[in-house]
Amino acid sequence: MSHIEGQTHENGRGNAMRFVASGTLVGSAILFLPIAVFSLIAWLTFGAAPQGTVTHFLIITVAVLGFSVFTGNTGVVSFGHAAFMGLSAHITGMLTIPVAQKAIFLPDLPVWLAGTEMNFLVAGLIAVVIVTAVAFVIGIPIARLGGASASIATLGLLIIAYGVIVGARDFTRGSQALIGVPKTIDIPVALLFFGIALLLARIFRDSLAGLELRAMREDEAAARAIGVNVQGRRLLAWTVSAAIAALAGVLLAHFLGVYSPKEFYFQITFAILAMLIVGGMTSVSGAVVGAAAVTVMIDLLRGVEEHINANWFSEPTVFGLTDIGLSLGILAMLFWRRDGLFGFWEIEELAGGWRRWFGLRAPAEVGSSQAKRIDQDGALAVENVAKAFGGLRAVDGASLALKPGEIVGLIGPNGSGKTTLLGCISGALDLTEGKVLLDGTDISDLPAHQIARRRVGRTFQNIRLFVHLTVLENVKAALAASGTRLPPLAMDARARALLTELGIADYAPRRAGTLAYGLQRRLEIARALALEPRYLLLDEPAAGMNEIESDELLGILGRLRESRGLGLLVVDHDLRLIMRLCDRVVVLNRGQVIAEGVPGEVQANPAVIEAYLGKRRAASRTASAPPLGD
Amino acid sequence: MSRSNWFKTTALSAVLAGAAFASGTAQAENFKLGYAGGFTGYLAPYDQPSLKGVQLAIDEINAAGGIGGTMPIELIVKDTRSDTAQAAVVAQELVDDGVMAMIVSCDVDPAVASGVIAQAAEIPAISSCASTPTLPAAVGPYMFSNYTADNLQGTVLAVYARDQGYENAYVLLSRDTPYTEKLPEYFAQVFAELGGNVVAIGEYTIGQQDFSVEVTRIKGLDPQPDVIQTSAYEPDFPAFLKQLRAAGITAQVLGSDGIDSPTTFGLGDVAEGVIFSNAGFPSEGSPLAAYEVAYEAKYGEPNDTIFTATGYDAMLVIAAAVEAAGSTEGAAIRDAWDNLENVQVATGMMTYKGQNRVPIRVVALNQVVGGERAHVGDFTPDPALIPAP
Repeated sequence: MSHIEGQTHENGRGNAMRFVASGTLVGSAILFLPIAVFSLIAWLTFGAAPQGTVTHFLIITVAVLGFSVFTGNTGVVSFGHAAFMGLSAHITGMLTIPVAQKAIFLPDLPVWLAGTEMNFLVAGLIAVVIVTAVAFVIGIPIARLGGASASIATLGLLIIAYGVIVGARDFTRGSQALIGVPKTIDIPVALLFFGIALLLARIFRDSLAGLELRAMREDEAAARAIGVNVQGRRLLAWTVSAAIAALAGVLLAHFLGVYSPKEFYFQITFAILAMLIVGGMTSVSGAVVGAAAVTVMIDLLRGVEEHINANWFSEPTVFGLTDIGLSLGILAMLFWRRDGLFGFWEIEELAGGWRRWFGLRAPAEVGSSQAKRIDQDGALAVENVAKAFGGLRAVDGASLALKPGEIVGLIGPNGSGKTTLLGCISGALDLTEGKVLLDGTDISDLPAHQIARRRVGRTFQNIRLFVHLTVLENVKAALAASGTRLPPLAMDARARALLTELGIADYAPRRAGTLAYGLQRRLEIARALALEPRYLLLDEPAAGMNEIESDELLGILGRLRESRGLGLLVVDHDLRLIMRLCDRVVVLNRGQVIAEGVPGEVQANPAVIEAYLGKRRAASRTASAPPLGD
Repeated sequence: MSRSNWFKTTALSAVLAGAAFASGTAQAENFKLGYAGGFTGYLAPYDQPSLKGVQLAIDEINAAGGIGGTMPIELIVKDTRSDTAQAAVVAQELVDDGVMAMIVSCDVDPAVASGVIAQAAEIPAISSCASTPTLPAAVGPYMFSNYTADNLQGTVLAVYARDQGYENAYVLLSRDTPYTEKLPEYFAQVFAELGGNVVAIGEYTIGQQDFSVEVTRIKGLDPQPDVIQTSAYEPDFPAFLKQLRAAGITAQVLGSDGIDSPTTFGLGDVAEGVIFSNAGFPSEGSPLAAYEVAYEAKYGEPNDTIFTATGYDAMLVIAAAVEAAGSTEGAAIRDAWDNLENVQVATGMMTYKGQNRVPIRVVALNQVVGGERAHVGDFTPDPALIPAP
């Protein structure tokens, strides 16, 4: 389906940027380089104790990145990733503890394990692979859940995994500490794996899958409507994040040398979540800077506390300043910056000027959308569709048809079932009766994202944008979800072209939630167009618009039909717009079609007037016969 | 006595250091001691009282001129926040500060994490109150235990039970923590060695409120147990005890120091007669009673936990080891420590000689009588009976 060549929009730097978006590399570098320089200076010049603090910081940051890849991209707070750390730590421990120590502390190990003593890299790799596989299986049910229920499920996972580790006492010494795990992690090793985890987290976030996930995080229903396979993407994020958490578990194991299952339980979970809260739950930069900020804060407070105890309160010694200070810091953060230091931004987005420094300009505007006119055969047919909510039949045997190139208005009084019918067509709702045929194929039982991928787009009555993504990302997410695969810059160009078509290209870098109302409506349409829909269902596109805005919209919709030849089904209360825009109008009342025809006819239909105005007023109104809607 | 050696060493070093103005060699050096404890977090209820005991002991020693009357103790305290990684970092900081001995946390994980750092620096370390007897072996020759080990308590309870003529024991354990699992197992092992019959071993989960399955099983046992041992503590112990007595089972219940809390004494009739072990009983004229007086004088409130006394004990042991070594050098202190015998501490006597760095110390047995604590006796078991950890 790609008919725009990405290379034409790149300014000579195409190859390096082909697979990884430039922001990914720049953002990772801005985070990695200062930490790397500091860590290496620490390695060369610091004493053993502060080196330990730096190493521990690097390892914990890997763990925070693991949490962040899931929590940041899906919006589901995970309490469960410490389980993966614990599992991998115990697996690598089992494989690396010297044989002589095993004989003393783990006498009940099976013979093949009792005689095993691996290099920590090999053991760590095995641990990460096993834990990732386990996480994939566990993730299948968890990915079906969203929001709070998914969080609770991860909490359950943490408790169960703890129970399993304690219960497997032949392998793990139960609740007792594993002792004798080789301490092999120093600053360079931790730094290397930190860099790998950071790059992995950024690549994942900026990938099309990551974009789809972040879209889903903002609004699950809207994400399904643009074709995002919510469960599949969530499972992917879960598995990738579990792998990073498992890596952190291996590193921590070989840093501590001694640990028991409780090391990977609530305490570390909340410590990591605190770092995410400080930095920002939803960005990779937030994860890294949060971990750094909390570590620095703890170390400073610890110094202050020791100083105070040594000089002022030698007795009775006062403790807890560190925890109190940390708690106050987190409370202040929640009070002033609820979304953390970075909110929804990545560091290079905040340091916006970098593109200029690197001589990269935003790709040139594309003149036209270059959209192909779609095939004019076939139709979207609704046959006797009914939808019951308990005893209420919101839609009760409605039928209608929409051909490519046609604009059909769907009107009716409040509560007549218009939006419900759109939901039935788009797959957001299951049908109670009847069927929906797309060019002859029955799509009644397909989930929303598959109907979207069959090129049926929709917008929502109450605008459902991905408010914390940029305007450009909103459209890119839809391009990605519909299966468009282009190099990053070409993808941007394609999205930009759609924005141009709707007249909102100037707003591309803005957060969608900051747009004015009318512009948000347009963005929603642009996003739906990214699916290259044959049919587009618009739910009150003019709601809340003034007359000028509504006229502009009218022009845009008319042009869409001309340039693309798509079929539009428009639900609106603005009868002026409906009458001027539509070829045909279908009137719905109490879930049933009561009239259908060209606008003029329908407007004069007594049944329609009665449905809108009630019997008695309708009678008086027909007598004087002013047409509806003027 | 090696005191004179020590004098020679300090005098020599003072001269070598060119301390020409020094008026007396006794002023030469403080004994630097580090305490890497969990003063906040889950270990705070143990390490904070231990620290109070340590500080009391330091006050007394320094008032008398220091260790051996000449070397005042300088304590450096660092909080691990009950975190294992922090325990390692903090221990390293203490090593960098030049401490000559180290007290580490009350729990095994942080104690080992700190201990291996001290071990690498060849500085002797002692855990304030970890009771797992495998701890010193896990770290190495510079790591010592302080608190009454689980196998010691289990042994004393078993010897007492056999001495009272109990034949059939039921043991209830939980594998959720080493303490609730191992101590009853040590009891069962010694009880069987002494010719008793362990009728059955039951298991529970910490936090389990319903013990009806276990109680029904005990009721159906043949022969009926005449003694029941468990290391369960709150909230499991009160729940178990109530359900046990409600079922009409009157066997003697033996607990361990986990139930040494006001809750147990407030249980009323069901707790009547329960016997439990702990690290000491302040009977009149005992060193522990004197300690309690000194504690109240210093802190203005009565002592409410045995962990202050065991912290005090740890400090006295360190002082005794340094004095016996006549040196502040790690290896010398370690060797002297490993040979300490019958050191008088607040809770009684402590002996390290021949014990692989897990001390033999007094175990006190207490009985709940009319909601009050009664002293059954102080016991020091025959080392040959104590099960290997």
